[in-house]
Amino acid sequence: MDLIQILVNGLSVGAVYGLFALGYTLVFSVLGVINFAHGAVFTLGAYFTYLLIGGAVGANGLLAGFQLPVALPFWGALPLAGLGAALVALLVERVAFRPLRRRRADPLLALITSLGAGVILVNLIQLLVGAESYAIPTGALGGLPASFPLLGARVRTVQALLLGIAVLLLALLTLWLEGSRNGKGLQAVAEDPETAQLLGIDSTAMVRLAFGLSGFLAGVAGGLVGLSVSIAGPYFGIGYGLKGLAVLVLGGLGSVPGAVLGGLIVGLAEAFVPADWSGYKDAVSYGFLFLVLLLRPRGLLGRPLPTKV
Amino acid sequence: MDAALLEQMLLGALLALSVYLPLRCGQLSLATPGFYAVGGYVAALLSTGVPAFAGSGATSPLPALLAEMALGGALAGLIALAIGRPVLRLRGIYLAIATIALVEILRVLNLNLPFTGGAMGIFGIPQPFEHAGGYVLFTLALLAVASWLCQRLEALRLGRAMAAIRDDELAAASVGIDTPRTKLIAFVASAVLAGITGALAAHFFNSWNARAGSFDASITTLAFVVFGGSRFWLGPVLGGLALTALPELLRPVGDLRLILFGAVILLGPLFFPQGLVTAERLRGLAAVLGRSRGRGHQAPQTP
Repeated sequence: MDLIQILVNGLSVGAVYGLFALGYTLVFSVLGVINFAHGAVFTLGAYFTYLLIGGAVGANGLLAGFQLPVALPFWGALPLAGLGAALVALLVERVAFRPLRRRRADPLLALITSLGAGVILVNLIQLLVGAESYAIPTGALGGLPASFPLLGARVRTVQALLLGIAVLLLALLTLWLEGSRNGKGLQAVAEDPETAQLLGIDSTAMVRLAFGLSGFLAGVAGGLVGLSVSIAGPYFGIGYGLKGLAVLVLGGLGSVPGAVLGGLIVGLAEAFVPADWSGYKDAVSYGFLFLVLLLRPRGLLGRPLPTKV
Repeated sequence: MDAALLEQMLLGALLALSVYLPLRCGQLSLATPGFYAVGGYVAALLSTGVPAFAGSGATSPLPALLAEMALGGALAGLIALAIGRPVLRLRGIYLAIATIALVEILRVLNLNLPFTGGAMGIFGIPQPFEHAGGYVLFTLALLAVASWLCQRLEALRLGRAMAAIRDDELAAASVGIDTPRTKLIAFVASAVLAGITGALAAHFFNSWNARAGSFDASITTLAFVVFGGSRFWLGPVLGGLALTALPELLRPVGDLRLILFGAVILLGPLFFPQGLVTAERLRGLAAVLGRSRGRGHQAPQTP
C-alpha cells in the first residue's frame, strides 16, 4: 500500500480514537473519574444514525422490522444521533455518577457504577435490535463519490470526512472552552470544584455540560465509524473504548489537544504495522501507553501531577 | 446448587482475593485477569503437551496439577516482579489504566503467539478429578489457605505496613516503611494467586483461550471486591461468590439476565458504598456471637 493511503487510514482511525478520548477527558477533567459507559454511548450513536437515515431493524430483536417514518440524509442524521447520544450520557450521569457525588462516596465506585450502566445499555441494544451487524450505506452521503484522488493515491471519502469532522469538532471545542462563559466555567470546575462553586459557578450544571458534550462527541464518532466500517454488533464500541482509554493517558489526562494528538499517534502507529504482524496491531496502543506511562507518567501534553503532602 | 456453579463461584472468590491484595495497600490494580490467563496457559500447555504432566490423556495425576499450579503462579509472579517497580510508581487511575493495558497486551500475545492455539485456544485439557465435586473440595481447601494467609497478614508487620500505605503513603514512608517494596510484595502476591487460580481453572474448564483475561474480567473482578468490601478478606470472598452466581441464578429471566446484572452492578455501590462486609457489621456480628456465647456460660449457673 502506498504511503498516502497508509497516512489517511491511520489519521482517520486516529481521529476516531481522538474523539473518543476527548469524551473521556471532558468528564475526567471535571470529576476525576473515567466513564466506562462511554463506549456504549458511542455504540448507541452509531445505531441512532442508522435508524435516522431510515435503516430498518433486522429480524432478531424486540423491535424486529421497525423503521423510523423519516429517512434523513447523513448530514442531518449525524448531529441528531449526537444529540440522542448526549441525552443518554446525561441519563448515565444522573443514575451512575450524581448519586455518588451527592454522598461524597469514593470516586473509585464510579468505575463500577458506570460500567453497570454500560452493561445495561449494551444488552438493551442487543435485546431491542439483535446482535447482527448493520451497515450504513455509503449512498447516505448523497452525491459524494466513494473515493477521490489525492497526490496520486485514492482516498476513501468516508475517511477524509472522519478526519475533517474530528478536526472541526476539536477546533470548535477549543474555541468554546477558551472563549465562552460556560467553557471557562467548565475549566474552573476542572481546576477546583469547590472554589468554582464559591465563585458562583454551578458545578453540577458544568458536570452535566461535560457529560452532554462527551456524549455528543461519542455519538458523532459512532455514526462516522458506522458509516466507515459498519456497526459490528452491540459490543463494537468496547474495543474503541479501550483504545480511547490508552489514547487518553498517552495524551495526558484532562488535556484536550493531548487527546487528539494521542489519537493521531496511535492511529498512525497502527496503520504502519506490517500486514504479517496485523494480529499484534491491537497491542501497539497499549505498548505505547505503557512506555509513556513509565517515561512520562503525566502523558505527552499533561500537566505535572501535583504532589499532595 | 450444582457443583460446577459452586466451583466457578470459588474460583471467583480466589480472583477477588487477588484483586484485594494490592487494594489492601491502596493500589488499584486491574491486572488479575492477565495473570489468571497466564497461569491457565501454563497448565493447558504442560498438561496437553508434556507427557510427564499429561497422565493418560483424559485424566492427569494430582501431583502434576500441583506442579502446574506452582509453575503458573511462579510465571505470573515473575512477570509481576519484572514490571512491578516501574508500574507501581503510578498512582490511582493511572495505575488502573496501566494494568488494563498490561491485560490487553497479554491478551493480544495469547491470541497471536505460535503455541497458544490462536483464537480457539487449547482444547482437551485432562482432568485431575473425575467429578466437579473433587474440584470443589480442592478449591475450597485452596480458598481456605488463601483466606487464612490474608487473615494472618492483619497481625504481621507486612500487613500493617500495607494498611498504613493505604491510609497515607507519604506518612507511611516517613515512619520508615519501605513503601515501594511493600507495594511490590502485594502486587506479586496478587499475581501468584491469580496464576495458581488460572492453572486450576484451565483444568476445570477443560479448554483455555485468550478470552479468560479480558478487560471485562478486569472490571468484573474489581466489582467482586467493591461489592463485598475492600477492608477485610471476607468481603472479596463473599463478593466473588455472590457475583459469580448471580448471572447463572438469573438465567430463568432469559434475555433480561445481563440487563439485571448490570443493574445490580450499578445499584450495589450506590446502596452499599463500603461494600457488604464493613468494620461495623463485623463488630456487630462479633457482638452478637459474643453475647450468645456469654449466655451459654451463664446458663448452668441459673438454678
